[in-house]
Amino acid sequence: MTTSTTSIGAETGGAQTESFITRNVRKTILPNGLTLLTKELHDKPVVATMIWYRVGSRNEELGQTGKSHFLEHMLFKGTDRYKKGEIDLITHLNGGANNAFTWLDFTAYYFTFASDRWQAALEIEASRMRGTLFAEEEFNPEKQVVEEELRIGLDGPWEALENEVWAAAFRQHSYHWPTVGWLEDLKAASGADMKAYYDKWYHPRNATLVIAGDFVADDALRKVEEMFGRIPAGPEPARLGLVEPPQRGEKRLIVKKETPVERLLIGYHAPAVAHADSYALKVAEALLSTGKSSRLYQRLVEQDQSVTRADASYHDHIDPALFYFQHELKPGFNLADVERATYEEIDRLKRADISLGEIEKVKRQVEASLVLSSEEPLQQAMLLGQYETIAIDERVPEDSRGYHYLDTLLDRIAAVTTKDVARVAEKYFTEDNRTVGYLINDKEESGSAA
Amino acid sequence: MQHSQRLGTRPKLDVERVELPNGLVLLLSENHSVPSVSIKAIVGAGSRFEADDKAGLASLVGELLDAGTATRTSKQIAETIDATGGQLATFGDYQSSGVVMVLLSEDAGLGLEMASDLLINPAFPEDKVQQYIDRRVAQIKARLDVPRTLASDLFNEIVFEGTPLHRPPLGYDQSVKTITPQDVHGFYRRYYTPDNTKLAIVGDIDKDEIKGRVLSTFGKWKSASPFEAPQVPLARRQSVPIEKSVSVPKEQVNIVIGHVGIERRNPDYYALLVMDTILGSSPGFTSRIPRILRDEQGLAYSTFSNITSSAGLDPGRFIAYIGTAPENLDRAIAGLRGEITRIVEAGVTEEELEIAKSYLTGSFVFRFQRNSQVAEFLIEAEVYDLGFDYLDRFPELIRAVTVESVDRVSRKYIDPQNLTTVVVGPVDQQGKRTEKEGVS
Repeated sequence: MTTSTTSIGAETGGAQTESFITRNVRKTILPNGLTLLTKELHDKPVVATMIWYRVGSRNEELGQTGKSHFLEHMLFKGTDRYKKGEIDLITHLNGGANNAFTWLDFTAYYFTFASDRWQAALEIEASRMRGTLFAEEEFNPEKQVVEEELRIGLDGPWEALENEVWAAAFRQHSYHWPTVGWLEDLKAASGADMKAYYDKWYHPRNATLVIAGDFVADDALRKVEEMFGRIPAGPEPARLGLVEPPQRGEKRLIVKKETPVERLLIGYHAPAVAHADSYALKVAEALLSTGKSSRLYQRLVEQDQSVTRADASYHDHIDPALFYFQHELKPGFNLADVERATYEEIDRLKRADISLGEIEKVKRQVEASLVLSSEEPLQQAMLLGQYETIAIDERVPEDSRGYHYLDTLLDRIAAVTTKDVARVAEKYFTEDNRTVGYLINDKEESGSAA
Repeated sequence: MQHSQRLGTRPKLDVERVELPNGLVLLLSENHSVPSVSIKAIVGAGSRFEADDKAGLASLVGELLDAGTATRTSKQIAETIDATGGQLATFGDYQSSGVVMVLLSEDAGLGLEMASDLLINPAFPEDKVQQYIDRRVAQIKARLDVPRTLASDLFNEIVFEGTPLHRPPLGYDQSVKTITPQDVHGFYRRYYTPDNTKLAIVGDIDKDEIKGRVLSTFGKWKSASPFEAPQVPLARRQSVPIEKSVSVPKEQVNIVIGHVGIERRNPDYYALLVMDTILGSSPGFTSRIPRILRDEQGLAYSTFSNITSSAGLDPGRFIAYIGTAPENLDRAIAGLRGEITRIVEAGVTEEELEIAKSYLTGSFVFRFQRNSQVAEFLIEAEVYDLGFDYLDRFPELIRAVTVESVDRVSRKYIDPQNLTTVVVGPVDQQGKRTEKEGVS
């Protein structure tokens, strides 16, 4: 059995200088500020091309929420070079796939093509970086499409609860609103607003291009220089520098919705990407909810049998965000009891009630998940682009900055001790630091739509 | 626009097929690019074999496979897998059940031993059966929260009446509550046999070494008598239009239109794949329904149509779907019906055909990127007798499709006059929009 190529394995104890994802990554910064990451992978005849813009709902302002996401839609509606529909048509004709996504901190676009035709992606990205048109006749139908997307969210019970909890937890910082924005802001948006927002953020100096797969890096660099080199760097993007002050006391809220299933969401303010405490919190997240042997599964699903689903989540963001718990209750069980049981499990962490075997298990889970979710070039491009976009400011230690975050991640996870987990649990999982949301059924009795 | 007729770069698979003395079919393919392995042990049984009054049984049996074996508790199973950092899932759906794993390749041996234990020696402890039933009842309730699922379930109830496909594989509240441990054991004994099982192992493995490990684990599985599949009643296409509306207080109306579809073995599958790509199943918005209803009219975020993706051992369904604001209800239904009628009556153009064929042949490579996708393909190839040369044959099958063959299969398999239309959302029983209460 081949084991020699695996780069994981904390038990060997050796310090790593690079992970298998960052191996052979080349980084080039063009004179206009565009960052290029290339990674050759020749085992499959495909190439993934992604472009990441460092702009998301975090960069929006009150009354103008949802613009980052709306803009993502508009970037498929045509440029001075590609007519509406042509971007999809080219993708389609070449047997490729394309899509895009927007979140709090970023907006990203991707193409996957067979390796003999992947450069079509570069031409499209170069064109729509500055050449996107905002024709009124395209803008209005697309606004309706985005409204429909937002309505799907309004019909979702988890979205309803998440929106309220984040809005309560963040009163100053722009993580206050959801990425899709508020419906009323969206309805008020104009094509001119959108164009101004585009002109502010879509420039080489605010973008990272990632190419991963079966291509030759030198050729790709020449092509990128040819396609993107003449685009002006653009203005220095203005940063808002919003800071959420410490929370001074528990916040509690209730959302009513006609639903047969009650839900609980508890969010604690937690540190930003690459913060020294973030690694112990990642270990805590896995201890609590990765796999059926995890604490919350064993406690709530197996022992109490009070929920159908118990999750803990902690994602990397540019600014401090939330470490949150989400539980879906079985009928007949009580939200307050499930909330109390969750605190009991948190208290066990605070007491460092964690065996050595258990902590080794979760470290291996974190490491293995990185390997097991990186089979496709696109998956690797996602990780490289994400960290090059969110882990770049001065707060991030130099050896972990940008995609190098992935080099140090496993070593930092491997260094976490049970005491570290107890310490961060004690520090962040406090009553004053939390926002608790209940989703309850606002239709008495019934419960069945039939 | 230039149409590329290049072949693209074809995926290459080196497949080995072995039939064990007990009838189990083993499918192996090596790929050493990432130190991981995908294991799928799939039994040819599912809810198509269960009775209406026990709806949910097959999926419950599948889920219970990791609830304990003769020598391991459910907790030990979870701890063993979690300690590897790998993933394990057990399941039962409409036509298949079993165990799927993704592991680091150094844990492949452990994974095989575990997978064989779950399939050969499940204990189905009584307390676990009851616990899973209770959880299932709650999950069935949660389904009602998703209007799109509700609409899809209702559509199946109508279109597949009298066949096993009418019910959700998860079952109903009432039927699940009547399931006993005896039912679980009975279903397992009847259908879980080595000669009804296919095992695919793909990734960073050494085929010869793995074969030895499979023989010493799955090789021990014995079946009492040769497996015989029961007869399953087949769905017939409706001969009248049917409409059904259900009122739920949501922001969107969810509309599903269609009727009975085709089996995967149907030789017209490939022409219909091209038709799907033209009518409503392309990624992006190049196909007609997303382009016209979403991109041009702004009616929806999600809208599509499809007949081939549900084609299985039994005929699946032809559906067109849209989720839209209540005020668009009439336009949305008219739009979907209009496009369905148009493709049947007016056919497709040469240009549409070439674009669709170019997409299907060019994108084929992306179905073989992950080990788990390859394992999935190996099982499918076996179930539907596709042959492992399918990778070479697929582009030829697509290139053979013509405008005439698409027109012929549209007329043959789509009936615009006799569709079932289901509407779920803020509408009344007649499918008319209900006025919203309160201030807006």
